[in-house]
Amino acid sequence: MTLIMVVDDDQDLAEMLGIVLNGSGFEVDLVNSGDQVMAIFNSHEPDLVLLDVMLPGISGIEVCKLIREKSMVPIVMLTAKGDSYDVVKGLEAGADDYMIKPFNLAELVARIKVRLRRSNVESSTTLRICDIVIDQVAHTIIRNGKTIPLTRLEFDLLVALAKEPGRVFTRDALLSEVWGYQHAADTRLVNVHVQRLRAKVEEDVDNPQVVLTVRGVGYKAGTSQT
Amino acid sequence: MKWLGVKWRSSILFRVISTTFLLSIVLISLVGSILFIQISNGIYREKTNESLSEAQSLYEYAQGQLDATLYLPSLKVPAVVAKILHSNDLTLATTPREVVLLGSPLAKKVNDKYNGASDNVDFNSIPDSLRVSVRGLGTAKWIRGEIGFQDGTKRSAIIVGHVIEVPPQSPYELYYVFLLTEQQTIVDFIGRLLLFAGFLLVFMIGGISWYVIRQAINPIKDAAEIAEQLTAGDLNRRMQVTGEDEMTRLAISFNEMALSMQQQISRLENLSRLQQRFVSDVSHELRTPLTTIRMASDVITESKGRMDPAAARSAELLQSQIIRFESLLTDLLEVSRFDASASILELKDVDIKSLVLQSIDQMQVGHTGQIRTYFPESEVVASVDPRRIERVLRNLISNAIDHSEGQAIDITIKDTDIEVAVGVRDYGIGFTERESERLFDRFWRADPSRSRLRGGTGLGLSIALDDAKLHQGTLKAWGAPGKGANFVLTVPKAPGIPIQEEPIAANPNNESSTSFLSFDEDDI
Repeated sequence: MTLIMVVDDDQDLAEMLGIVLNGSGFEVDLVNSGDQVMAIFNSHEPDLVLLDVMLPGISGIEVCKLIREKSMVPIVMLTAKGDSYDVVKGLEAGADDYMIKPFNLAELVARIKVRLRRSNVESSTTLRICDIVIDQVAHTIIRNGKTIPLTRLEFDLLVALAKEPGRVFTRDALLSEVWGYQHAADTRLVNVHVQRLRAKVEEDVDNPQVVLTVRGVGYKAGTSQT
Repeated sequence: MKWLGVKWRSSILFRVISTTFLLSIVLISLVGSILFIQISNGIYREKTNESLSEAQSLYEYAQGQLDATLYLPSLKVPAVVAKILHSNDLTLATTPREVVLLGSPLAKKVNDKYNGASDNVDFNSIPDSLRVSVRGLGTAKWIRGEIGFQDGTKRSAIIVGHVIEVPPQSPYELYYVFLLTEQQTIVDFIGRLLLFAGFLLVFMIGGISWYVIRQAINPIKDAAEIAEQLTAGDLNRRMQVTGEDEMTRLAISFNEMALSMQQQISRLENLSRLQQRFVSDVSHELRTPLTTIRMASDVITESKGRMDPAAARSAELLQSQIIRFESLLTDLLEVSRFDASASILELKDVDIKSLVLQSIDQMQVGHTGQIRTYFPESEVVASVDPRRIERVLRNLISNAIDHSEGQAIDITIKDTDIEVAVGVRDYGIGFTERESERLFDRFWRADPSRSRLRGGTGLGLSIALDDAKLHQGTLKAWGAPGKGANFVLTVPKAPGIPIQEEPIAANPNNESSTSFLSFDEDDI
C-alpha cells in the first residue's frame, strides 16, 4: 500500500485530504506541524509527501530541505499563492511539484500518480549522456563507477532528455513529459529542476555538458562519449 | 516677432531687462541731448562774442580808412576796398575769417562797383534775412549760419554785417564771416563722446539690472524647477536654505509644503497598499477553506447516485456554486494584482489566429447562432502573454454569446506590421449610452439575469481592459440598443513598440451609435 504523508496546519483540510486520498486507495499520515514531520517521516518512510508551504513552527521550505537531506521521496507542495517567491524557494529546496489551492480531487490524484509512477518498465536499455550511464531498471545513474543519487523527478528529467539525444525540448514539452501537465504550466518548475539536476550531474555547473541550454528554446542532452 | 512675444510673456528676466533698456535709452538720450545743447551753445556763444567785437573793430577801421580817402588824395577807394577785403591776408588774423562787400539797396541806385569777397567766398550766399536786418538799423547784425564758397561747399560760420559808407556816398554792406570749423570739430567730438558714454551707460544699466534681477529670480526659478520635479513624482526634492532673507523664507515654506505633501502622499499610498494587501490576503486566506469545501463537494458529488433527488440536486448546486466562487476568487486576486501593479507579462511568440480559434472552441458550447470568422490567410504572429490574451478573448466571446440573442457573431482579425486587432461583433441587444459608461466597471452587469447563466464574475471586462493595457494595447467598445455591440482589442505585435493605429474601428460601418467608448493608456 502506498503511504502519503500530508503536512498541513489546517486540520480540516488535512482530514479532508485524508478522506479523499483514502478513497483513491492511498494510506495517509496526517501531520499538523512542521516540528513533528521528521520524527514521523523517519519511522513511517512515506512514498510521497504533500506539504503546505505556510506552516507554523518550521516552515514548509525548511521541512522540504530536512526531508531532502535524508530522502529522494517525491514532495508536492500545497500553496495558496501560486505566483509567490515561496514557490521558487520551495522548488529550490527540493519540492518536485506544487499545487495551488483550491485544487480539485481529480487534479490532485493525477499529480500524485504522476509523481509515483515507475518509469517505463519496458525500456531496459542503458542510456548514456556524456560519461554518465543511466540504468533504467535499477533506477540509478553512474559516473566512473560511482552512483549519483537523484530524486525520481530528476531521474525522469534526465531520462527524457537522454532518450532523444538530438531533440531540443521546449519547457512546455518537458512539463508534459516529466510532470504530466497537459496544459501550459509554470515554466519555473523546469528551470529550477534543471538547475538542481545540473548541481548533481555536472562537473562544472557554470559550464554544463550534460544538460545543455538552447537559448530561446529549451534544453537538450549533451553528446554522449562512446 | 513671435519669439519676442513668447519671451515677453514667459520670462520676467527678459521683461525687466528690456524695459530697463528702453527706459534708460530714453532717459539717457534726453539728458545727453540737453547736455550736448548746453555745451555746444556755450562754445558757440564765446566764439560769437569774440567775433562780434573783432568785427566791430575791423568795421570801424574799415570805415575810417574809407572816410580818410576824402581827405587824403593819396588814398584811392579801390585800393582801400581791396585792403578791406583781403585784410585776412594782410594782418595776422587770430581766427580765420572772410570778408564780403555788397552794394546795399539802400541807395536809390544800387552801386555794385566794389562788390567783392575775400578768397573764394560766394558773396551771393549771404542770407537775405541778414541783409534785410542789417539795412534796418545802423547797428551791427549777426547770425550763425552757413556760408557758401565758389566751389559749391558750404561751411558753418558766424556772419556779422554792417552798413558801410563808400565815398562818394554809396552805401555798402560789409560782412565779416568767421568760420566755425574749429568749434564744429570740438562740438562733434563732444557729441561723439556723449553718444559713446550714453551707450556705455545703457549697457551697464542693462547688465546691472540683469545681475540684480537674476539674484532675485534664481531662487524663484529653483523653486519652479523643484516644484516640477515634485510634480513628476520625485518627492524627495527640496530647496536649499541659506541666509535669512525673503528668499530663504520662500525656500523654508516651500520645503514645508513639499514635506507635508510627501507625508500625505505616502499616507495615502500606505492606505492603498494596505487595502490591496488586505484584498490579496483575504483572497489567499479563503483558499484553504475553499480547498476543503471543494474536495468535500467532490466526494459528495461522487456519491450523488445514492441520494434522493433533492439532495442530489443540492449537491449539484453546491458544486457549481463552489466553482463560481473559485473563479470569483481567482478574478479578485487578478484584480488585486493589477491594482498593486504586480502583474507581469509572460511574452511568447504566438499565432493570434490559433489563440482566437482555441477560445472559440472553448466558449461556443451552447451557442445556437453562427460564429463567423474573418481571418487573414497567413499566420498572425505576435509577442503577447497568451494566457492573458486568451482570457480577454474568452471573455469577449462569452459576452457576445450571452448578449447575442442567438444571432450570429462575427470575429475579425486584422493586422499591420506593428499591431494586431481582434474584433468581436454581435447583433444582439447592444447597450445604451448610460450602460456603456459602466461597462468596464467592476462587478457591474447590464442585465443581471444574463451573464449569470455562464457564471461570469462581473470582473471579466475590467480584467480584460487591464490585460489590454498591460500589453500597451487598447480595448474599445461600441454598442447601440437592438443593433448589438462591438468590442475591439488592439495590441502591439512586439513589446515596447506602441500601437499607432487601429486596424479595426470599434464603430462598425460608422453607424450612428449611441455610445462609443475608448480606453487607452491615459484613461483611468
